[in-house]
This record gives sequence, C-alpha cells and structure tokens, in this order.
Amino acid sequence: METKNKKSFGTQKLDDERRVRVLSPGMLVFKRFVRNRLAITGLIILVVMFAFSFLGGILTPYGQSQVFKHDEAIMKEYATCVQSTDYRFTVRPGADFPDAAHPQAMLAISKNSNSFTFGDKTYSLLKDGDDLYSVGDALKIASATTLAGKFSLNPVAETGFVPSASFSAAAQAAIEAKQTQFSADGTIYTIANEGKASSIFHVESIALATKRVFDPYTEGDQQLTASFAFRYSVEQARVKGEQTFTLDGVEYAISGESNDLIISAKEGSAQTPVCSVSDILVSPNANDIFLTGAFKTAAREALRAKEAKFSFADETGTNVDYRIDRVNTTYTVRTLKESRVITMFSFPSFTHPLGTDSNGMDVMTRLMYGGRISLMVGFVVVILETLIGIVLGGISGYFGGWIDTAIMRFVDLFNCIPFYPIVMIIGTVMDKMEIDPIKRIFILMAVLGLLGWTSIARVVRGQILSLREQDFMIATEATGIRVSRRIFKHLVPNVMPLLIVQATMSLGGIIITEATLSFLGLGVKYPLASWGSIINAATDVHIMTNYWFIWIPAGLLIVLTVLGFNFVGDGLRDAFDPKMKR
Amino acid sequence: MNDDIIMEVRNLKKYYPIKAGMFGRVVGQVRAVDGVSFRIRRGTTMGLVGESGCGKTTVGKTLLRLNDKTSGDVLFKGKELFDLTKHELRKIRPQLQIIFQDPYSSLSPRMPVGEIIGEAVREHKLVPDAEFDDYITKIMRACGLQPYHKDRYPHEFSGGQRQRICIARALALNPDFIVCDEPVSALDVSIQAQIINLLEDLQKQFSLTYLFISHDLSVVEHISDTVGVMYLGDMVEYGTKKDIFAKPMHPYTQALFSAIPMPDPTVKMNRIILEGSIPSPANPPKGCKFHTRCRQCMEICKTEGPKRYEAGNDHFVVCHLYGK
Repeated sequence: METKNKKSFGTQKLDDERRVRVLSPGMLVFKRFVRNRLAITGLIILVVMFAFSFLGGILTPYGQSQVFKHDEAIMKEYATCVQSTDYRFTVRPGADFPDAAHPQAMLAISKNSNSFTFGDKTYSLLKDGDDLYSVGDALKIASATTLAGKFSLNPVAETGFVPSASFSAAAQAAIEAKQTQFSADGTIYTIANEGKASSIFHVESIALATKRVFDPYTEGDQQLTASFAFRYSVEQARVKGEQTFTLDGVEYAISGESNDLIISAKEGSAQTPVCSVSDILVSPNANDIFLTGAFKTAAREALRAKEAKFSFADETGTNVDYRIDRVNTTYTVRTLKESRVITMFSFPSFTHPLGTDSNGMDVMTRLMYGGRISLMVGFVVVILETLIGIVLGGISGYFGGWIDTAIMRFVDLFNCIPFYPIVMIIGTVMDKMEIDPIKRIFILMAVLGLLGWTSIARVVRGQILSLREQDFMIATEATGIRVSRRIFKHLVPNVMPLLIVQATMSLGGIIITEATLSFLGLGVKYPLASWGSIINAATDVHIMTNYWFIWIPAGLLIVLTVLGFNFVGDGLRDAFDPKMKR
Repeated sequence: MNDDIIMEVRNLKKYYPIKAGMFGRVVGQVRAVDGVSFRIRRGTTMGLVGESGCGKTTVGKTLLRLNDKTSGDVLFKGKELFDLTKHELRKIRPQLQIIFQDPYSSLSPRMPVGEIIGEAVREHKLVPDAEFDDYITKIMRACGLQPYHKDRYPHEFSGGQRQRICIARALALNPDFIVCDEPVSALDVSIQAQIINLLEDLQKQFSLTYLFISHDLSVVEHISDTVGVMYLGDMVEYGTKKDIFAKPMHPYTQALFSAIPMPDPTVKMNRIILEGSIPSPANPPKGCKFHTRCRQCMEICKTEGPKRYEAGNDHFVVCHLYGK
C-alpha cells in the first residue's frame, strides 16, 4: 500500500495531503536554522575558527613556543672618550708617598701652594709646566759610614741611584767636614748625621701629577709606559719642548701636537711608536679589549675635528666604521657588531603573517594554538556543566519533593559563591604550587565547570517540571510505559532543544571567562598560548600603541568566536521554537 | 444491555493537602472528590457532568490510578485497583485507557504518530512483531487516519486529527474501559460531531465502556447511557440518561439542564440562573454543599448534609427535597 502510494506520487491530485513533504522535528529545526541568515553567518564564523585553530595548528610550520632569532648588526658601544680633567699620580718606586696622601696633593694644587703635609711629613710641590706638577721629597739615596777612618758609601738599591766618583768624593768631603749639605754634578744633596753613620738625601721628585694619559701603543709597551721614569722623562721633555730624550740608553723621539704626543723609540733611523700621551682618555667598554695607540690616536683626531664618525683599520686590515655619540662631556664610540638576537616585535611579513611578539614567537601560530585551548576549554566546560546540570536538574525535576528542595538549595548555595575571588584564589594557589601549565588547564576546566552548572540545572529542572505535568507524560503512565523509556524517549528529547540552546549560548560566555582569566594571568600560562593571554601584551602601552598586530587579531578572534556562538545559539533557539517566527 | 459491572466506585474520596510554611505543614485539604459512588456496566457509557472544578477529571484520573485515592474503593472487574502491585498494575494498564481534553499537549511533539500509537503496543507485546505494522495500520484506519500519517509528527495535524491519534493510541492497547476526559471540548463543533461519532462507532466495534466526562450537556445526552451529576466533589444525582434528562430532580441538575441552548430562536428559554460562584472545595459550605446557591434552599440544608434518595430504576438524588 505504502509503496504503491509512493509510486503513484506523480499522479496525485494537487490537494492530496501526501504531496506535502513530511519533515521530522529535527529536520524542521535544521530547515529553519539554515534559513536564518544570521545563524549561518555564525556557523561559518565558527567553522572558520575551528579550521583556523585545529587545522591551522597542524599546518603551520612553527611551534607555539618556538622563539625566532636572527643575526643583526647592531651599533654596540665600543669605547668611551672623555676629556681628562683629573690629575693622575705616578709614584717613583720606593718613594714614601702613599695613596692616602694624593688628595692632599690635589688640594695643594688647587690652592696653588708649593707644599703640603701628610702625616708628619712635609712634601714640596713644584709646578713644572702646563698641567704638570711634581711632588718633591728628601729621598734617602745612600748611607755613608766612616769606620776607622775608612769611608764607605752604600746607595739605597730601590732608588736605582748609582753614585758617581765625583759624588762619592764630594760626599766624603762634606761628611768629614760635618757639613749638612754638599753639591755634586750640579745637584744639591743634604746629609743627616746619626752618630757614625750618615744618610745622604736628595730632594727629588717622588711623584708626578699630570692630566695627561699615557697609553701604550701595543700590549708589549704597557710596562714601559706605566713606569715613573718613562713618564717623568716624557713630561719633562714635553714641558721643556724637547724633541728627544734618552732613558736607559734608549733614545726616544717625541712627535705630534702638545696635547697629542707620540713617543717613538729610535733604533737607528727606524722609529717605533711606544706610547701616546694625550689629555683625552680613551677607554674600551669591554674589559678584555686592548685598544691600540693607533686606534686611540685616530679616535682623538676625529674627536678634535668634531667628526661624528671615523674609520679605522682593524688587525686584518679591513676598515671598520665607528660612530661617535656625545652625551654631555662623554663621547661614546660605537661600531656595528654582528650578534644573534631574538626577533622581537617583527612587523607582519611573509614568514610571520602577524609578526612576532615580545618573546620572539610567531603571533599567528600562537593564535592558532591559543584558539585550540580557548575552544577546547569552552567545549569541555560546557559538556561538564551540562552533564552535572542534566543529572542534578533532572533528578530535581523528575522526583520533586524534598529531593528537589535539597538540590535547589544546593544550587542557591553555589550561586552565592563569588566567582572571580574563588578563581583568583585557586589561580594563586596554583601559582604557588607551580603546577604544570597543561595540568593547570584541566584544573581550570574543572573549576569553571563546577562553578557554572547551576543555570543549566535550573533550566533542566524547570523544563522537566513543566513536561512532567503535560498530558503526554500522563499518557505514558496510563499506557504503562516503563520509567526508563519515559525518561529517555519522552522527557530527554523534549529537554534537548532547550539544553542545546543553553549550552551554545553559554559557550561564548565561557570563552570570554577563560580569556578574562588568562588575561589576568590566572588561566592559561606561558609558554602555552590562549587568546586572553595574548591580549595581555596590550597592558604595555608601548606594545598597545606600536604593535597592533600582537593584540588586535586575538581580540578580533575572541569577538568573532563569541559572536558566532551567540548567532548560532540564537538561530537554534529560533529554530527550536517555531512560535518565534519573525 | 449487558449486566455485568466493569467499574464500580464506592465512596471514593480524594483530598489534596494544602501545605504551608517552611516545613510544608498540612493546614487544610482540598476535597476534590468527596465520597462518590457509581457503577458502570460493560459496553455502556456513563456521562459525568458538572461545572469546572467540581472534581470530574479527578474522578477520571483516580479510576485509572493516575492519582492516589484518599479513601474508598475502585473496583475494576471486581478487583480493587489500588491493591495491585506495580507489576500487576502494569499488566492491567492496557485495559484502562484515557483520552485527554487537550489534543495538543497530549502528544509528544518529538515522536512520529506511528510511534506514539504503537509504543505501548510494543511495550506490552500485544501483537507479534510481524503483524505490528498491519495492526497499527488497522487501528489508524479504524480511527479515521491514513496509513501514511504514520511517519508524520503531531505538529502537522489539526486538533481533530490529533484527537483521533489520541483515540488510536488508547484503542491500540485493546482496552475495556476508556475515560474520555472532555475529549471534544477543545474542538470546534463540526469536528466534535466526528469525534463523538467515531467514539460511538468504536464502542460498538470493540465493545468499549466509556466514562465520558464533559460539561457539554448536549454531547453527554447524545452519547451516554447513564449520567452522573457532580457538584463540588459530590455526586448529587445519578440515573439513566432518559430519567435524568426527562426528569431532573436535584435543583442543581435542573439549573444545569436549563442552560442547554435550544437550536430554535423562537423558543423562550426558561433558564435558572445560579447566583454566585462555586465555593472553594478547600472550605465547602456546611450542610448541603449546594445550599449557598440553591433556589429551593431550606433551613435544614444549611446544617445537615442530605441523604441519598433512590427514585427507582437506579436513579438517585442527594437532596433534602426528596424522601421526607
């Protein structure tokens, strides 16, 4: 009969009822849903979001916490130049001029006095020339003893004094004549008698104070240029305007302007520069670098010419450019250095479609993985909420009576729990316990689910209460249908529509909550990504204003997803409720 | 007329407790049904009439043990229905069926019609699986439905068709006794006639017994063999249709019957207008419950409850006017 009807479908009359297509309630809902343009828009948004998060995560070549680095030549500080304004002391070896006495000397220099006292000792101060003072002291250079008419002279070894024959003769004569003073080779010496022994003193420079800086030309020259004798000779020659001087049998030539002298050792006709003397201090920024005199000279020349940059050939002979930046009286020499740096805040490009964030991670990839977590949290929490809600709401509605009262008071109790404080406390506890970020997400899901089931329980209870009194439920009792079938075939299908709508609508809310918690740093933690924690970058005003590509896409994704869920939820509600026809 | 009694009700009472306060203390009782007795013979129809809220539906539901009773007896085929165990009750369920007033809420919206009708048949294994489809088709045809309606859903049917589905659902279980709880009051008049005729046809065909609850007296007059009149939980008059409609004895019955509209505008209706509304069943008047609205109220009515007066031929009335 049935088949015959179907076969003769084409010959049916126009007003035959069978011409009307029969749709099940599910199909009707589907049809109404599909006709709802807004709902379809929402659905498309959600499909795109899911594809983006779940497929995108598979397709993207990057990992969610992969840090990108690149080689970059950056201007690094290389050396610092400063005009030398302080006097530096160089003390003759063996001289009694402790460091603590230096300030006294400085004070005397500034007061223009020619002597100063430190402890019980008086030093003389002599201005030798421009920016050059020498500290004088009666230095014991030798002791003399006369034993049984025999005169012996013992020079003090540390001073390096070698008595000449004329000195010895003069000294012997003076001691025998019990003089306190004698002169030899044009220098005046004093004698102090201590019984049979006498000390011979020479008022001599024991230290020199100069603003000039002595820089060794090569590392091998360091010892020479630091020695008092060398410095003293250089300064004396400079002040006297001499072009050469001899020290320890080596002849040195002085060249250059008065502020920038170059001391070269002469060996025959060849001259090897050993030291540069200048009033500009050039010091390297890294401790382990030795700046050659040639470099310093080049830097000083550029500085005096007020150039902003100069170039200098390094050991391999290639020219390196240096830039000079001035801050107050300090000049900083910078040069380009190749180094491995994290690719922070790189703007959108082909390799990073949405740029990189402050950790040098690809924003697009993080959005994909973040979407997975955000959507997954949403779904798991809704499923959890719905399960608890159905069970408790169903029991409450179906059995009624004191069970209903008890469960509803329990629901009230749960509604009284302040949501954010509780979640914050749990977040802090998890921080303290240093829980693994992945475990954290599961705990977060559980907490959100446990705190959010009440509204679903209420909806289910209300719906079941009203269904229970409907005639068709009484009819199932009258026809003797067993309880399980009554629940699963009659009650559940009638609760489902409302439940689906409720669950879809609350999905959006949960995603917002998750984003909020992650934004506040309570939810998903670094290195895992979540849309909320990505937006967290916008708390920095600098990032918010300059790097829109970090936080705006995440915000848009949240807005779109929640909008999508709400559209679909609205669409489902309208579809399930034909009375809501517009 | 077959004489054996299929349903006997003796002094049936159904009170609903009124609870108040935090702990649900019982502070009073709604006397929905307050001592009703009647018998229904196999193959007959008993009409149960009365105002809204007088307890007609409660009686109907209690007869099927869809409610608990407070006291009294409900004997179905001579067996006390409320003594049955759950298992026995489930076995006897198919024999006792109900048709509801509202054909919209009495069908599950998410189930196709074939499933609605056949669900309980399959549940009780009334027919072998092989014959199941044919059986449902037969029942649907008997109720004026087409076999191709099987796969449709209730929302696609009109009120009359839905009521046919309800009747088919009841009929499919091959019942002996059907409570028709105002089955036509939600339908328009032309459909009402169809449904009434259908019920009558089915009664002949399947030898059914009906308890026909209605406040539409013309329908009751058409379908019933005996009629009971209820007022505020009491049955005030009972008798054969002929006796009751020809010679109503209780003042309430008289008032009720005077309200039947005549399909003739020239006939002047002698209506008895009842004043006031029906008193609350939670706090019924003392004495005769009807005395507050009765035109023939006497002093005794206000203090003493009336006794049953047998007027012969199974006709009784509960009123002080008779049997002094």
